[in-house]
Amino acid sequence: MAEDRCSVLFDDVVQRFRVIRERPDTLREFFAKIRRQKATYHDFEALKHVTFRIAKGEMVGIIGRNGSGKSTVLKVIAGVYAPSSGRVEVHGRIAPLIELGAGFHQELTGRENILLNGLLLGLSKRQVQEREERIVEFAELGDFIDSPIKQYSSGMYMRLAFAVATEVDPDVLLIDEILAVGDGGFRQKCFERIRRFRAAGKTILYVSHDLGGIREFCNRVLLIHNGQLIEDGLPEFVTAQYEALLGQHVDSIVM
Amino acid sequence: MWRIMGELFRNTYRYRELIWALALKELRVRYKRSVLGFLWALLNPALLMVVLTLVFGTIMRFSIDHYAVFLLSTLLPWTFFSQSLAYSVESIVGNGDLLKKVRIAQLVFPVAAVISNIINFLLSLLPLMLLIALMRFPLHWTWVYLPIPMLGLFLFTLGTAFFFATINVFYRDVSHIVQILLSAWFYFSPVIYSLDFVSSKYRWLFRINPLLYVLNGFRLAIYYGMLPSLKSVGMSLACGITALVIGFTVFRRYQNSFVYYV
Repeated sequence: MAEDRCSVLFDDVVQRFRVIRERPDTLREFFAKIRRQKATYHDFEALKHVTFRIAKGEMVGIIGRNGSGKSTVLKVIAGVYAPSSGRVEVHGRIAPLIELGAGFHQELTGRENILLNGLLLGLSKRQVQEREERIVEFAELGDFIDSPIKQYSSGMYMRLAFAVATEVDPDVLLIDEILAVGDGGFRQKCFERIRRFRAAGKTILYVSHDLGGIREFCNRVLLIHNGQLIEDGLPEFVTAQYEALLGQHVDSIVM
Repeated sequence: MWRIMGELFRNTYRYRELIWALALKELRVRYKRSVLGFLWALLNPALLMVVLTLVFGTIMRFSIDHYAVFLLSTLLPWTFFSQSLAYSVESIVGNGDLLKKVRIAQLVFPVAAVISNIINFLLSLLPLMLLIALMRFPLHWTWVYLPIPMLGLFLFTLGTAFFFATINVFYRDVSHIVQILLSAWFYFSPVIYSLDFVSSKYRWLFRINPLLYVLNGFRLAIYYGMLPSLKSVGMSLACGITALVIGFTVFRRYQNSFVYYV
């Protein structure tokens, strides 16, 4: 594989968080802490020497138990966290679909939110306006587009978020568990769009607990456990590994 | 220092559309769901002026002629400063959810908070002009000088906004301290009085106020119809630039750790 076909590269990435047990949120605690003179934090490694390379056009599922570090991977790719050590390379424009509607404001209308969200995702005002019609159409909002989004149902909310993020026309799309919401029809539409994305040679990273969806759409799956990449391979194989891992966990609880 | 300031200007320019949209959002949210909507931006200062004029024009009579104009000439810029600070101190913490999800230049939030307040401030000058006309007070030609103190005040406000927004991320007490600080600062500033009222023994204390020169510029131009001395002009800009350099340096130093603390 030629180097220029690389879309996302993780080279020995460590993401360390300082977990402060008694975080001095206020000055009072701060002074109290100085008096006691002891360290009240420990370092927590959310990602431990993770290395992988994703080629352009791949759709990669990321699975693992809650708190294993899946979302941290997406956030490092999105540039929200700077890794503590290691090297991260991302080629092209990224659109994060991390949790529903980051940056949506309840009091603003759908249309106002489209502009704000588009700008936040790095589009110019003109680019947003060019895409507005398509976004409204895809999100099936009808007359609601000029109502404040606090009146939206969670389905409408999600459709709008998905529509904006995919219309940004990213080279790398990050999806965190979003398709779990929404009715069958819209899910189908989302997957249809994801297929188009893949056909256009875009890269998709998909974090989910929905193993069926992962097996259906991804060509490769990463299994993350306690911050380590423990498996990287074909969907059938890795999801089976994961189920075995879950089984072990359940067994240990039962015993 | 030039590199740091260059970065500030570059990023502000690069994100100008986003900053503008965020500033308008702030105003929109502030006036949303009120029947008169955006008109409140004009009506609010206008009604305040009516109250002040009634109180100081008829009920409590001061030896200062047209006290309402005397007061408003510095009260409006002061309100801009204090409101900007009150908004921007929370601007990073308040947008924490966003910072944790999208890679975005952190500076857009404090800048947008200050910009939204400067729009409010500029709008409030319209009712002031109207009041001046109604009171048959002269509208001095020195109004054309106002962009200079405005620039000084804007730079100073932005600098303090960066500074307090930064430390508020790490110590949430700061938003409370800022409130106290602002009310103390208010009485230390020549807003409701002028510096001549202060006994000469304590005047030095009032002279260390970095807002003194800017406020003085507003009052001279609007109320007295005079221009400040060149030294005073220089000082008002110098205070603004110094505050911005310090404030943004601190902000830039810590901006990448914000995401771990919000």
